[in-house]
Amino acid sequence: MSAPLLQVEDLRVTYRAGRGTVAAVKGVSFELARGRCLGVVGESGSGKSSLARAILRLEDGVAGRVRFDGQDVRALKRPDLLAFRRRAQMVFQDPIGSLNPRLKVGSALAEVLRVHRLAKTRGAAAAQAASWLETVGLDADYAGRFPHELSGGQRQRVNLARALCVGAEFLIADEPVSALDVSVQAQILNLLKSLQERRGITWMLIGHDLAVMRHMADEVIVMKAGAVVERGAAADVLARPVHAYTKELLAAAPNVGRALDRRGSGPAVWD
Amino acid sequence: MKPTDLNGRVNGEADAVLTAAGLGVGFFAEDGRRLEVVGDVDLVLRAGRTTALVGESGCGKSITAAALGGLLPRGMALDRGEIRWADGAARGPGRGLTYVFQDPGECLDPVFTIGNQIRETLPPEERGRARERMEELLRTVGFEEPARVLASYPHQLSGGMQQRAMLAMALAGRPRVLVADEPTTALDVTVQAKILRLLADLQRAERLAVLLIAHNLGVVAEIADEVHVMYAGRIVESGPVDMLRQPRHPYVQGLLKALPRLDGSGRLEGIEGSVPPLGRRPAGCRFHPRCPLAREVCREKAPEMRACGEERAVACWACGEGGWA
Ligand SMILES: Nc1ncnc2c1ncn2[C@@H]1O[C@H](COP(=O)(O)OP(=O)(O)OP(=O)(O)O)[C@@H](O)[C@H]1O
Ligand SMILES: Nc1ncnc2c1ncn2[C@@H]1O[C@H](COP(=O)(O)OP(=O)(O)OP(=O)(O)O)[C@@H](O)[C@H]1O
Ligand SMILES: [Mg+2]
Ligand SMILES: [Mg+2]
Repeated sequence: MSAPLLQVEDLRVTYRAGRGTVAAVKGVSFELARGRCLGVVGESGSGKSSLARAILRLEDGVAGRVRFDGQDVRALKRPDLLAFRRRAQMVFQDPIGSLNPRLKVGSALAEVLRVHRLAKTRGAAAAQAASWLETVGLDADYAGRFPHELSGGQRQRVNLARALCVGAEFLIADEPVSALDVSVQAQILNLLKSLQERRGITWMLIGHDLAVMRHMADEVIVMKAGAVVERGAAADVLARPVHAYTKELLAAAPNVGRALDRRGSGPAVWD
Repeated sequence: MKPTDLNGRVNGEADAVLTAAGLGVGFFAEDGRRLEVVGDVDLVLRAGRTTALVGESGCGKSITAAALGGLLPRGMALDRGEIRWADGAARGPGRGLTYVFQDPGECLDPVFTIGNQIRETLPPEERGRARERMEELLRTVGFEEPARVLASYPHQLSGGMQQRAMLAMALAGRPRVLVADEPTTALDVTVQAKILRLLADLQRAERLAVLLIAHNLGVVAEIADEVHVMYAGRIVESGPVDMLRQPRHPYVQGLLKALPRLDGSGRLEGIEGSVPPLGRRPAGCRFHPRCPLAREVCREKAPEMRACGEERAVACWACGEGGWA
């Protein structure tokens, strides 16, 4: 076995809130091997996004250790830090907030490609941008649109294209498909999977859809109140959950057949 | 509490709060050309019932909802059909109809506390006992420490907490119609289940008419009474929620097949292609380029909604009486 790409040791995130503090992540440790997908599930406020931001050094108030490809991420200085930012990227939960409203999406992608010197000429950048849009399932026509002219799902695809086009090796995707309709979700998940297989991309996938996790993740960690309460191979954890909270998650997963059966046979939906 | 009866008769027009008939929204390009964003939309929102609008991204669900409340984006106009309120009065956003969105960022202002923002939406006669009412609203949406939340700024709350705060804000105006546009999409399942339960309870207890926009068919199956599936600006199949057991339209069948299974079985199967952008919608049935059943007639003529069984209707040449499937 090669060394893991990511090692997280006793990571803690504490926020100041008013006069007190909030411990959002309370000592999380895990390792992630190159080319694998780690699923992170947990209730709202359990610290998943805080954990992600801490790993990518987007957060202050962090304690503990993050090693990426052997380097101590929290100690990185400028040129190495910039390289890290290219190699490790985040796809955010909120697509509109991370797109520049004044740039057409094609130009936005082209600019990213130029800044990172991945395209020599303007023409080459535009062509690459168009091809990345197609990779995420958007007609090349969409290059000429502004973010506000796109529906929510279309914006999230642009967002994914932007993270992918820099050639990141490690991506943290925070609810990347939860705003997408299922037909496109299936396409994007298949795309993510093929990127993982063909290019050895390593993923941390944050989400709440256990069925998606079952299809995508190799391993999962289940978080509650800032701590990991269950971990293991995705297939095992989801088929035979041990912790009460994981069981609760499975029971709450929306499912067409189960919901209709429950409503059709019993007197009410939730009673 | 009155149970949701799946087979319960819809009480004619009696419970109708808002009726949309033949609704059409146009987008006006710079040259003045009208592009249809949504068309021929018929909807009846009833007190105490949840109507779901589903369909892929870009099919026009949010624009339909925006048209109901007079909140269309610039460049668009509601210029076909009509909207009738049961009491005859035209009602805009505000006391009649309120929205809860998928993205709390669209509603919550980062520079004001939650308390300040909820206070703004209270009806004038309740401003006197504002604090009490706000704490009550926050408890209704499941907060155990309403005082802490009232004093918080949006960024101090997690996504799920922001979503609940937004729901409290929407309820503050005591609306009759609540439009919930992907209200639980960004939430983990246990909170989603709580919010759905909350919506179902509010809908029954306050006799709210809920228009639920969702792309998760599991969510729809949990709480909707009626379902309308939209494709490229048109409703293509409608019926009681039970129709999801055996949808007729190939599009709806495709949506169901694309759902990942909890046991991990089966390959993830998307629907080939994507929703055409405005102005690029094909002639004939708009779904035909992606449809496994498409034939000549589908490319030439748009199918209209036709009844197909009790309270069900579908727009597909292959379905229903005289269809070939
Ligand atoms: N900037 C901040 N200041 C103060 N508290 C914060 C801040 N950001 C997050 N928190 C708190 O930290 C905890 C963890 O939040 P986080 O956003 O990491 O949760 P999450 O698991 O990503 O939730 P969700 O599924 O809702 O996105 C919550 O209690 C939240 O209120
Ligand atoms: N402000 C706008 N200007 C121009 N076109 C727009 C605008 N907003 C939406 N559209 C277009 O109108 C159509 C319908 O969009 P709408 O937002 O209603 O989709 P939706 O069904 O709500 O999708 P989603 O599930 O992604 O939210 C899409 O083709 C979209 O690109
Ligand atoms: Mg989060
Ligand atoms: Mg929408």
